[in-house]
Amino acid sequence: MRYLGKKFITLIITLFMVSVAAFVAFQIIPGDVVTSILGTEATPEREEQLRAELGLDQPPAKRYVNWITDVLRGDLGVSYRYSKNMNEMMPVTELIGDKLPVTLCLAAVSLFLIILVSIPLGVLWARSRNRILDAALSVATQVSMAIPSFFLGILVTYLLGICLKLFTPGGYVSYRESFWGFLGYLLFPAVSVAIPKIAMTARFLRNSLLTEMGSDYVRTAYSKGCSDKRVMYGHVLRNAMMPVVTFLGMIIAEIVAGSIVVEQVFGLPGVGRLLISSISTRDFPVVEILILYITFVVIFVYFLVDVLYRVIDPRISGR
Amino acid sequence: MIKIENLSVSFGAAEAVKNVTLEIGAGEILGVVGESGSGKSVTALTLMGLVSETARITSGRISFDKETLLEAGKPYDKALYRKFLGCRMSMVFQEPMTSLNPTKRAGRQVEEMLRLHREAWRPQGSEASGGERKRKGRELPGALTERDKAEGEDIRRRVLEIFRAVGLKDEERVYESFPHQLSGGMRQRVMIAMAAVLRPDLMVCDEPTTALDVTVQNQIIELLREINEKQKNAMLFITHDLNLARRLCHRVAVMKDGRVVETGPTEELFKNPREEYTRKLMEAVPSRMRKYGGIADSFAREYMGERPGEQIRGRGVCGEMEGPGDTERAENTEGPGDAVLEVRDLSVYYQEGSNSLFARNRKKCAVEAATFAIRRGEVLGLVGESGCGKTSLSKAILGMNRDIRGSVVHHSPHPQMIFQDPYGSLNPAKTIGWLLQEPLRARGRREASFRMSEADRRAAAYDMLRKIGLPETYYARKPAQLSGGQRQRVSIGQALITEPGLVIADEPVSALDVTIQAQIMELMQKFREEMGLSYLFISHDINVIYQMSDRIMVMKDGRIIEQGDTETVFHSPKEAYTRLLLSES
Repeated sequence: MRYLGKKFITLIITLFMVSVAAFVAFQIIPGDVVTSILGTEATPEREEQLRAELGLDQPPAKRYVNWITDVLRGDLGVSYRYSKNMNEMMPVTELIGDKLPVTLCLAAVSLFLIILVSIPLGVLWARSRNRILDAALSVATQVSMAIPSFFLGILVTYLLGICLKLFTPGGYVSYRESFWGFLGYLLFPAVSVAIPKIAMTARFLRNSLLTEMGSDYVRTAYSKGCSDKRVMYGHVLRNAMMPVVTFLGMIIAEIVAGSIVVEQVFGLPGVGRLLISSISTRDFPVVEILILYITFVVIFVYFLVDVLYRVIDPRISGR
Repeated sequence: MIKIENLSVSFGAAEAVKNVTLEIGAGEILGVVGESGSGKSVTALTLMGLVSETARITSGRISFDKETLLEAGKPYDKALYRKFLGCRMSMVFQEPMTSLNPTKRAGRQVEEMLRLHREAWRPQGSEASGGERKRKGRELPGALTERDKAEGEDIRRRVLEIFRAVGLKDEERVYESFPHQLSGGMRQRVMIAMAAVLRPDLMVCDEPTTALDVTVQNQIIELLREINEKQKNAMLFITHDLNLARRLCHRVAVMKDGRVVETGPTEELFKNPREEYTRKLMEAVPSRMRKYGGIADSFAREYMGERPGEQIRGRGVCGEMEGPGDTERAENTEGPGDAVLEVRDLSVYYQEGSNSLFARNRKKCAVEAATFAIRRGEVLGLVGESGCGKTSLSKAILGMNRDIRGSVVHHSPHPQMIFQDPYGSLNPAKTIGWLLQEPLRARGRREASFRMSEADRRAAAYDMLRKIGLPETYYARKPAQLSGGQRQRVSIGQALITEPGLVIADEPVSALDVTIQAQIMELMQKFREEMGLSYLFISHDINVIYQMSDRIMVMKDGRIIEQGDTETVFHSPKEAYTRLLLSES
C-alpha cells in the first residue's frame, strides 16, 4: 500500500512538471493568438479588448497560476477557436468531453481485440510443431507489423466496408444516437488499430513462451509427469506473461493517447483529430489540456501495469 | 529393477553417451561419478525421458521392472512415460534456485504432484471418480463439493507431512512461501519433498548438493540417506564429487567421455581402483591429508590435453614459502613490517531498498569491524558460507564499495581481482589477446608513465599467455572457444599482467571440475613464487583453503570469528563454528 502511495505522488509530480513545460512551450512558440483569431485587419482597440478578455495581458507566471488553479477546480478554460454560438466561447471541457468517449471506446475495443486474439495466437504459435503453420504465422505477423496504419485503415474500409458491405465507410454514428450503432462502426477502426499490435504481441508472447520453455522449472514440471498442456497453462504461461504485460502497457498507452491516423481515416471525431486541428490553429488551451490528458493516461497505464506485475510476480511485492 | 543397456545418445555428430550399461537394484543407491561433459547428466535425463529433443538414441534400451521405457529406433512414448514420471520415478535437479516455478507457492508445487497422480496414493476404487470430478469442477468453478474439500485437506496434510519429514521445520510457512523467499537449502528440501512425496521406486538426483554450502550439503546427503532407508527406494546419485559418492552410495560407476570406465561396490572401488582414471580422479580431490605434489599437472598432460604451465613438482608445503621476490620489493614499502595490506576495523555497509525517489534507504552491515593484514608473499584464506560477507569484504578492499567505516591501507600498487565465474567475467566479443592487454591499456590511460606501445603490449600479452600455460594460437581466440579452466587461466593472466602485489581471488575454482581446480590452484601457486605475490584467497571449500593458504580467517555473519595459522586452525580450532565447518567437509 505504501508503494501505491509513493507511486501516486510520483504521478502528481510528473503531471505538474509536464503542465509547466507545456505552458512554457506555448509562451516560446512564435505567433500571436489574438492576431490569429481576429486577423490582421482588426483595430488595436479590439485586439486589446480580446487580450484582456483572454487574460493574455497579464505576466506569464500569473497566467500559469491562474490557469493551473482553474484546471484543478475543474475549469479547463475556453477554446480560442471553437465557439458555441456567436456570443459564447466554447469551454474546453465540453469540447474534449465530446471527443474523449470516442477515443476511449476505440481504445477499449482495440485492446479487447488485441488480448482476445494475440494471447491464444501466441500460445498456439509457441506450441506448434508444424513448420508450415510456423512459417505462415511468421510471415503474416511480419507483414501486418510492417503495413502503415493509414494503409491498413484504407484496406479495412475497402475490403470490409465497400466489398463486403459490413459497415458504411464514413457513416459514423454518434454514441448519443445509438450506442450499438456506434460500437458497430467502431469495430472496424478498432480492427485496423489492433492488427499490427496483435502481430507484435503474439510474436512477443511466443518468444517469451519459448524462452520460458527452456527454464529449469519446466524440466521439473515434466519430471513430475505433467502433460504438455499442463506445463503450458499451469506453469509457463504465467511466467511468460510478465514481459508481455509491460509490452501491453506500452501499447495501451499508445492507443489511448490517440490513434490519430486511424481516427482521421475513419472520420471519427476523437481526441486525435482534435489534437491535430488545435495545434494547427494554435488553440493553446485545448492543446495544453490534451498534453496533460495524454501524460496522465500514459503514466496511469504504467501505474496499472506496475500493480498488475505485482499480482503476477510474487517476487516483486516482497520487496 | 532399472536396467540401462548399451545406451548411446548423440547430439548431431557428437556422441555424448557411448554404450552405457547400468543397473540399479531395488533400494540401492548407485553413484555415477565423472567430470562435466562425461555424459552422466545426459544418461540420467535420457532415463527420465527429459533429454532435449535434439538428442538421438542411437543404441540400447531402458527398462523399468520388465517394462521397456525406451528403445533405440522407437519413438519416445510420452503417454507411457507420464505413467512413470512423478509416481514411480522422480528427479531432483542441481539448481534449486531455478528448478522451482518462481510464481507458485512451494506447497502448491508439491501438491501438484499429488493431484497429477491420484491413483498413486488414493485408496482403490475412488480412482474413477477422480476424472469425473475433475470434469465437474471445470463446469462449476468455485462450487466445491464436500468431497473436493476433503481431498484438498487430505492433500494439504500430506504435503505438510512430507515437509516435516524432509526437515523443513516451519512447514506451514514454507507451504505458503514462494521459492524466492526460501534459502537454497530449503528449496532443495522442497524439491526432495516433491520427488519423494509419492514414494517412487527410483529417485534420480543430479548433483543435488553442488549449488549448496558445505554445511547444507551434508544435511541434504543425510536426508537422502534417510529417505532411502525409510522408503526403500532406489536412487541414482550423480555427482562430480567422489567424497560425496563415497559417503552415500552403495555402488559407484565412474564415467569418462561418455563411457562407464569402472563400476563396483563403493568401498571396494575406493580401496582398489582398477582403472588409472579412477585413481587420478580420487587423487585430484582436494583433501586435508595431503598438500600439493604435482599430481594435477601430470594428470592434465595425460588426460585433459591441456598444456600445463611450467611445472613446480614436489614444491611441497606452501607454508614454508618465504616468497623469492621479497627482498627487492620490500624496499619500496612504507608500511610497518612487510604487509601489503592492512585492514583495520573495517565495516562495510550496503543499501537496501529500491532506487525510487522516496524509498528510505536502509543501511545494512555486511561486514563488521574486520581487522587483519596480509604479509608479502602470503596467502590468506578466507572461508565462510555464502552470504557471510566474504565478497563484500573483498570489494571494499578494492574500493568497489565505498560505503565503509574503518581503514584499508594498501602497500602494494594495483591490487587485482580474480572472479569466480570464468564464463561471465570475460567479454565474449573480444579476443584473448585483447583481454590480456586491457589492464595495461586501462592503466596507461590513467598514468602516463605506464603508457606502452602497441607492440610492447602485444609482447606482454604473448608472454602472459605462455605463463598461464596456453598456446600462442589462443591469442586470437574468443572466450567462447575456451574451456572453463582455460578461461580461468585467462582471468588470472588478466589480473597478473600489471604485476600487482596483491591479488584477491574470489572463489576462483568453485565453478570448475576437481581436476581443473587442482591445475588452477597450482598455477596460482606458481605465480606466487615467481612474482612474490600475496593472495587473499576466498572460498567456501575448506579443503581448497587448506591447500592454498598460510593463514586462515573464518567468517560468519559478517564477523571474522577466527584467524590464525592454517595448521593451528585446522588442528585446534577455537570456535565451535570452525569445528563444524571442519567436521562437515
